[in-house]
Amino acid sequence: MEQNHIKKQINSARNSLFQQGYLDEQFIQLEDLQDDANPNFVEEIVTLFYSDSTRLIRNIETALDNYPLNFCKLDDYMHQFKGSSSSIGAKKVKEECSQFQECCKARNTQGCIAAFRQVKHEHATLKRKLETYFQVSPSNSLYNTHIISRQGA
Amino acid sequence: MTVEEIRGVNEIDRFPIGMRVLAVDDDPTCLKLLDGLLRKCQYQVTTTNQAITALKMLKENRNRFDLVISDVYMPDMDGFKLLELVGLEMDLPVIMLSGNSDPKLVMKGITHGACDYLVKPVRLEELRNIWQHVIRRKVESKPQSKSNNNHEKSSQGNEGGDQNVKLNRKRKDEDEDVEENGHESDDDPSSQKKPRVVWSIDLHRKFVAAVDQLGNEKAMPRRILDLMNVDGLTRENVASHLQKYRLYLKRISHQANMVVAFGGSKDASSYMRMSPLEGFGDFRTLSSLGRLSNAAYAPAGILGRLNSATGVTLHSLMAPPLVQETQNKLRPVNHQNMNLFQDIPSSFDQCSNKPNTQLTDFSSVEESRIFTGTKLADFNSIDESRMFTGSNPLTDPSVVLGSKPSLKLSSTGSDSFNLLSSSSNFLDQNGNQPSNFSSNQLPIGENYGYSATVSGGIRSSITATAAVPLEAHGGGLVGEIMQNVNNQSLSNQKNGQYSKQDYSQYSQNAFSTLASLALASGGGGLSGPLSHGGLNGGTSALFKTEMPGLETKMRSGEDGFVVNNIYGSLDDLMTGMTKREQEARMMMDGEFGYDPYAFGPCT
Repeated sequence: MEQNHIKKQINSARNSLFQQGYLDEQFIQLEDLQDDANPNFVEEIVTLFYSDSTRLIRNIETALDNYPLNFCKLDDYMHQFKGSSSSIGAKKVKEECSQFQECCKARNTQGCIAAFRQVKHEHATLKRKLETYFQVSPSNSLYNTHIISRQGA
Repeated sequence: MTVEEIRGVNEIDRFPIGMRVLAVDDDPTCLKLLDGLLRKCQYQVTTTNQAITALKMLKENRNRFDLVISDVYMPDMDGFKLLELVGLEMDLPVIMLSGNSDPKLVMKGITHGACDYLVKPVRLEELRNIWQHVIRRKVESKPQSKSNNNHEKSSQGNEGGDQNVKLNRKRKDEDEDVEENGHESDDDPSSQKKPRVVWSIDLHRKFVAAVDQLGNEKAMPRRILDLMNVDGLTRENVASHLQKYRLYLKRISHQANMVVAFGGSKDASSYMRMSPLEGFGDFRTLSSLGRLSNAAYAPAGILGRLNSATGVTLHSLMAPPLVQETQNKLRPVNHQNMNLFQDIPSSFDQCSNKPNTQLTDFSSVEESRIFTGTKLADFNSIDESRMFTGSNPLTDPSVVLGSKPSLKLSSTGSDSFNLLSSSSNFLDQNGNQPSNFSSNQLPIGENYGYSATVSGGIRSSITATAAVPLEAHGGGLVGEIMQNVNNQSLSNQKNGQYSKQDYSQYSQNAFSTLASLALASGGGGLSGPLSHGGLNGGTSALFKTEMPGLETKMRSGEDGFVVNNIYGSLDDLMTGMTKREQEARMMMDGEFGYDPYAFGPCT
């Protein structure tokens, strides 16, 4: 009973994320990669994303403080950020990133600032939702993963 | 060596399972995802978030990996540069990865030699098929030795790619039928990796002679093979080499088309100036050719793909001193790996046009010599008139660093000239200095190939190609060159990449062979045909390029474009080559300590 209830909770949490457009099919790819060999893959990669994206966000914020705006650099940063976001299936975040890049192309300072606010907002919202999701998920452990160079066996 | 052989016995049966992939991406999230996906495909994955580390690993042991996947946008090195370096030095298939699906970038990836271009986010299905690139390479390179093993491999690798395997098998059969010895050319260290025919200068010369004799259109691998009469060479080797060669010619001719009409050789004299070329007979023509070659080299990236260092040298050569004001289109990328041109890189930044200044900085770098003043990069955008400002940077061999990569070979005749001139200058200047000479030689040779083609416009480029394409590694150069040539837009970037670092290793092999060839062709071959006003329409049919107009122009002989002549005077070329070869070899060995026949890790 308890288990079923929990399962239902997990499912509904997950479904709503998709339905509301926070996640797309890329997230499902992540889930597919989770198996016995990698039991916490999804959580690991999401954690990794959030720790790394903090750095990117900081870079962008700094760049947004320098006037006149260096749209090239901003676009580059955002390109990176968008790449990571899309890799975990963060749909809304990705959309806001595209919006930001459009403003960069148009050299629209105010547009960039506003768009970036949106990006941060979506980024934070998704983080909260995913944290909740992971809390109710079977595996709760958070790994601290590093990208290391591994020897091909 | 087959993939299986490299990997070890256990894996033989299971390819593509266990295929060893090196994944490079500075973004940890993407890298982790890549890692997960690749492991899901049951590949052996090694990851690194630094391109430099990746290169290091590859250099240490090229045999350790079967395939490389790399992100395009990385902070420590541009993905395209890495691509070039890996492709050039290690001849490994490289797949590019980017969040950007802009067709221009995709095109750039292809021209730089990527086997594939994936857009993030990467999906599992896409990665499941990447092993085909490894097989394709094996098939194309036509490993000579151990056909039995190959057979085994084919049968085992069947699960995934029946077609590929069958093709492999079929080729192997042919190989067995055709080749007698088959392993001779692979008796060098490089054979451990992959049994490939090493297209030495001699071999290539024979090839070119044969093609010339048969006529480009009529040249069929079987007949070429017969004409060449070389033991251990298979029809497949020749076919693959021929294909690359043709591509190169096409590319060059295409480039030549784009080249601005020489406009009159108003600067014909400048060509002269550029290349005192005493030692090389008619290097003057070279200078003119240089211009053309620039065009040819435009796709510096392509050159990068060339196995042989010639590609590299070309780039370097491309920046002949001629161009004082070339617009520097070099991308920063190029510079990253150019130790040599530490100073230059700055100039090559996208918007800087100070090619001249850079040259002097390379004196310290020995390797730089190889890259004779690549002001070429600058040439890309330079008008013809500017091209012949008459600078003579070559005086300082070191300056020749050439790696400046001709980069922008595209489209301007002047570019090619620069190449040529630089090469020629280079030759001249360095005649006295053995050390320089060797380095110069190589590039020149390379440039030579290109320039020759260019100068003629199409023709010259073609000829150049013919002359030069020293394939250090199984015709890779030629093929690459051709590709490069066609890609006019390819700018210096490629050149830059080849410049230095990577090339040092590569150059050893490439240069040793190429150098001799290059020199030979540059010096001898080109000289002959290039003599001013001596453009013969008679160049072999090989180079029949689409520019009859150019031909006429060339006849004027003002610019002494080699065009056509290159082939016409194959004999000259040969002679020249022989001469140079000896010199080059001597120098090269001395200078760079190359063992001409030790191709080392670079296939």
